This record gives sequence, structure tokens and C-alpha cells, in this order.
Amino acid sequence: MQPPTWPALGTTQSQMLADDWKIFTYAALAVAVLVWALIAFAALRFRRTARNAEPRSQRENNPALEIGWTIAPLVLVIALFGITYHIENEVERLDPNAAVQVDVNAFRWGWTFHYKGGPTVSGTSAAPPEMVLPLGETVALNVTSSDVIHAFWVPDMLFKRDAIPGRVTSFDLTPSKPGTFLGRCGEFCGLDHATMTFRVRIVAPAEYKRWLALETTQ
Amino acid sequence: MSAAAVAPRVIAPERHDLLSWITTTDHKRIGILYMGTTLFFMAVAGLLAMAIRTQLARPGETLIGPHAYNQIFTLHGTAMIFLVIAPFGLGLANYLIPLQIGAPDMAFPRLNATSFWMFLFGGLIVFAGAATSEGAAAAGWTSYVPLSEITVASGLGQDLWIVGIALVSVASILTSLNFVTTAFILRAPGMTMWRLPIFTWEMIATALLIFMAFPSLTATLLLLFVDRRFGGHAFDPAFGGSPVLYQHLFWFFGHPEVYVLILPFFGIVSEIISTFSGRPMFGYTGMVLAAFAIAGLSMGVWAHHMFTTGAVNNPFFSFVSFLIAVPTGIKFFNWICTMWGGAIRYPTAMLYAVGFLVNFLVGGVTGVMVASPPVDFQAQDSYFVVAHFHYTIGGGSLFALLAALYFWWPKVYGWMLDERLGKIGFAFTFIGFNVTFMPMFFMGLFGMPRRIYTYANAGALPALNIVATAGSYLMLIGALLFVVNVIVSARRRVPAGNNPWDATTLEWATTSPPPEHNFEALPPIRSSRPLWDLAHPRSPESSS
Repeated sequence: MQPPTWPALGTTQSQMLADDWKIFTYAALAVAVLVWALIAFAALRFRRTARNAEPRSQRENNPALEIGWTIAPLVLVIALFGITYHIENEVERLDPNAAVQVDVNAFRWGWTFHYKGGPTVSGTSAAPPEMVLPLGETVALNVTSSDVIHAFWVPDMLFKRDAIPGRVTSFDLTPSKPGTFLGRCGEFCGLDHATMTFRVRIVAPAEYKRWLALETTQ
Repeated sequence: MSAAAVAPRVIAPERHDLLSWITTTDHKRIGILYMGTTLFFMAVAGLLAMAIRTQLARPGETLIGPHAYNQIFTLHGTAMIFLVIAPFGLGLANYLIPLQIGAPDMAFPRLNATSFWMFLFGGLIVFAGAATSEGAAAAGWTSYVPLSEITVASGLGQDLWIVGIALVSVASILTSLNFVTTAFILRAPGMTMWRLPIFTWEMIATALLIFMAFPSLTATLLLLFVDRRFGGHAFDPAFGGSPVLYQHLFWFFGHPEVYVLILPFFGIVSEIISTFSGRPMFGYTGMVLAAFAIAGLSMGVWAHHMFTTGAVNNPFFSFVSFLIAVPTGIKFFNWICTMWGGAIRYPTAMLYAVGFLVNFLVGGVTGVMVASPPVDFQAQDSYFVVAHFHYTIGGGSLFALLAALYFWWPKVYGWMLDERLGKIGFAFTFIGFNVTFMPMFFMGLFGMPRRIYTYANAGALPALNIVATAGSYLMLIGALLFVVNVIVSARRRVPAGNNPWDATTLEWATTSPPPEHNFEALPPIRSSRPLWDLAHPRSPESSS
């Protein structure tokens, strides 16, 4: 199983999410470095010394400058919003013809995965369940909870969605890398929240069919 | 009226017995009670944080079990937000607003005392939950339903939490009423609104936010209490209620609350940077308008805490959240331009103010990141968000709180805190803070959820956690140095004089500590810097 480190980006959606992360991280770093540099320059250059004993100016405004530093960040955040809007739309797009549909039910403290027209897999903190999914096919997940709020979170897929009692929320994921990924509850739910985990195992479509047949006959 | 004209001396402290402290309506003594109470709660919440970091130092640590751990982080968050950071701003405002506007007291002195005592007992009631058989509230400071409903949290601790926070909420509304009324009607002759010190302006914006947000909190708590004890079903999906409704109501309060936790500290930092740069607040008008822009926008962003519910219009709340970066940026540029061209002194208060700028910037830019839903899908409820809000409330507000203590302590007590101990303490706090919280961004990105009492020995998490815990112990040393500083300085009693920092607002025109009625005489008020005008009578720039 992938250990917790840089996310493996196991779905096509997570590659788009990673683009958003990168763009926002670079923008954040660029702004931070610029403003830190200005703070450092002002803080060091204008410290009181024998040669700089008195403030050299009592000027208290500069309308052109002030308008400039209002408009520049505004332009930046509008651009960032455009990127966010585009990526979120792509990630949240639901495929009505998803090859696999899984109903996820979270409970204190475990998970039930019901494959539409197929098997049901269940497990608790002590023996976490495994969700087997085919590589490269779109999977529709419908998430809900039977007690408190939980969240279905696979860090290697950069995505979580709350499991709320009385509500079903749906999203798609398209596995793009084979392997076993750690999943866990992402919303605090009480005593065993820390150990409320599951596994997602991504296998080749042929192997997925074999697994499905085996589980269904059991 | 300048510092040189009055011989520096420490006024013999007036003798106050316990009864006079309980019955006082003097805004300064209420301010001291308020701030002292928040420092007490901060010590408790800080020790709880040390317990958290000690438990998380190693994977699989068994020092604290899940039940105790859930109570500990619930009380830590509840205390820091409701009982420390927000009420410290209110306490300082209690002390300062009448002094800054040249008034003898608050508009409603008895209401003022009422709010303090409601706040104190509200806080004690929250903590009293720890003495009940099932322990204190353990549903987190957000107290989400159904986790906090009677079906799940059957203990009395959750009820005490609700009652205590409701009292704190009402106390905040009452005290805000006092601030706004005082600032509007009790200003000294010449103190027009556009000459108000920035701190007072920020408190007016804070008070307006409290008026809009805290009634929603009080109502939400009431609904939750009715659900728990009187068979209500407001949040119960089995009877047509909705857990998502709770989140809407809670965050309608909760996000403005974030700015209640920062606007007063923007004011503190503004006063300190201006004073030690020897310059007026640059962009004063922009600074005031930015505070109100932040306050206004913050009322329309609550559902960015709910991006992962799939139940809200993510793009709208994302966009409005991004917009808050604009007025916040204005403030940053104004602080930098206030330093620009100055002759900056660096006592401990100024070090903490610059530390605020450096840290809060991290909180700000990561705030823009998590306002983007695709980022938030990973970051929400992970250690990334824990790092983000500790950079704003800890690296920001808490650093400004410490700056305020070093800056106004001489005014409140008449003697100086030790600068050498203060600077060593700053070094420990600043380095410790960043060593503690910087690794948490990576923990969150790598998949560590918040509010877990243990984690597996795999990947990068053990290394990141041990570094964070080491940093927290550096911060503990910084905190202990502050306590040592107070004890050492109290014995040394170096007199402060009226205006030890060459500051320019009215509170520095009176004695330290000020007399009960605040001023024997007021200097003429012809700008937002009356004491600067007094010291520079013929400067053409002083008549602006």
C-alpha cells in the first residue's frame, strides 16, 4: 500500500486536481516571496541607526499607489477563480454511463461498499474493507452515512466527499494507476475516527471481472 | 505633556480589595479582568496543546486514549477561539477605547461589568464539563451534528459546552454594543471619526461583525439544546431536519468569527508599526475602508467551510473568499509603507508585530489556496487546514496579542517589561511556531486528517510529527520566559513614565497607570496623532 507521502495521483481527476494545487501553490509562493522581500527590505533598510536617526518622511498616503495595489490583487484573484472554476467543473462532471457504480455507506466505525448489481463488501476499523476497482473505467460513487457525518477520503486521489446522514452525494473517479491506496474517514466522527480506514485496490479490468465473479458467487 | 516634561515615576498602586474588583465598573479594571482571564484560559489551552503534541510525537503513542484526546482538542479549540483570542481583543478594547478617544469611561459601565462576568462564567461552565462523569464536550469546537446530538453525545459535558458558549456569545454582543456606542458618542472635542486611532476603528468593525454573526451562534446553540433536551428535531434527518442546516447556521457565525479573531489584532499591529517607525499610519483611510470591506465580505463566505459536503454553490463562495485577499493585501501594503522611510526601533513589541506580518502572510496565501475547492477537497479537515488556521490565529493573532502585552503593559501597570528576556522569548516563540506548524502543511497534503489521536508508522508522517512536537516545546519555553519576565520585571519596577515609546495616540497623554477618570487634561486634538502634533508644533505636516 502507498505510504503517506507525496500523493500518487491515482485517478485522472486527481491529475487535474494536482494542476490546481500546483497553480495555487506557485501563486501563493510568488506572492509570499514578493511581500516577504518588501517586509524584509523595509524592516532592515529603515531601521533606526546613527545615520537614519529620524524618519525621513511623514507622508501618509499615495492614491496612485493605493489604487494600484487594490487592482493588481483583484486581477490576480479573478484569474485564479477562472482556473478554479474550470478545474472544478471537470472534476465534478458526472458520467451517466459509468461502468461501475458503488454505493458507499459510512458508519461508526467502518464502511460498506455495495456494487450495483453485485457484491457488498463491509468492514470496520479492526478489519478494514477493500474496494476493488477496474483500471481506466469510470466509477460512480454514491456516498451516505447511517449515523454521524463521515467523509470518504483517498489522499492519493486528492479527493474527499462528506458522507452525510439523510443525503446521498455522488462523484466519479477514474482510476489511472494500478496499486493499493489507503482510504480513510476525513470528518471527525468520534472514538475510532483515527482508525476508520479502508483500502482501494486498482486492478486490470480482466482481473476486476474475475474478482467480481468470485465475490458474487460467494 | 510630553514624556520629558513629567518626571518618570511609578504611581503607588491603589489598594484594591477583592470586593472592589468584583463590583468595579471602571473600564480599565474590567479590561484587566478580561485580559487576565483570557491569559489564564490561554495557559490552560496551551497545556492542552502540549498534551496533543506529546501524544502525536510518535506513531502509536498510548499516553492519551481517544476519549481523553477528543475532549482535549475540543477544549483546546473552544478555549483558544471563544475564551482567548476573541475576548483578549474585547478586553484590550475595553481598556483602550475610552483612553484612545479621550473619554472618562464606557457608555454603559454596568453593562460592561455584566459582559465580563457572563464571559468568565461561560468559560468556567465549558470547562466544568471535564468534572462530569462522561467528561467534557468531545465533538470539536464546531460541535457538528449529529455528533453533538443526545443520541451520540449523551453526556452532560456537551450541554455545559452549549450553555457556556451561549453565555460567552451574549456577553460579546453586549460588550460590542458598548464599544460602538462609546466610540460614536463619547469622543472628546476634536476627536472626529476620521481621527480615531486605527485600533478603535478595527474594534468598531469587529463589533458590527459580532452584531451580525453572534445572534446566529446563539440561535444555533439554542436549537441544538432543544434537540438534545426537549425532543427537537431541527437537525435530525429522520424527522425532516438537516445536519447541513447546522453547518450553514454555524458557519454563518463561524466565518465572521474568524475576522473577529483578527481585526482587533490588525489594529494592534497598525498602532505598533506606526509608533516604532516614527511615522503616521500610511493609507489611514484605505486601512479603515479595508477593515469594513473585510467585515462585509466575510458575511458572504461561510459555505467555503462546506465545499466537501457537495451541498453548496462552491464557485460563488470560492469567489467571494478570494475577494477577501484584496482588502487584506491593502493592509499589508499599508503596513509596509508605514515602515518605509521611517526610523524603525525594535523593542520586543515591534519584533512581535513584524513576526505577525511574516507569519500571517503564510496564513493569508494558504487561505487563498483552500478557498479553491479543488485544493480544499484534499486540504479540508486535514492538517493542511490545521496549519493554515494556526498561521492566521496563532502566528497572526497570538503574535499580535504578545506584541500588545509588551506595548501596553507599561501603560497598564506603570513599569516596563524586561526587553532582553522579551527578545529571547520572541526568538523561541517565532522559531518554535514555524517549526511546529510548517510541517503540518505537508502532513495534510500527505493525508493526515485532523482530530486523530494516533497514526500509523508509515511514510513521512512520523518524521514530520516529531519535528512539529519539538517546535511546540520551543514555544513552551517562549511562554515560560514571558512568565519569568513578568515576575522579574514586577520586582524591578522600572518606571514607564507617561509615554515610554514616543507613541502618538491619546492613551499615552495620561499617567501610567491612568487615574480612575482617565485624564486630568487633554491635549488639543487636530489629527489622528495628537501627541505628535504636540511635539512638532510648527511642522506643516502636523496640521493635516
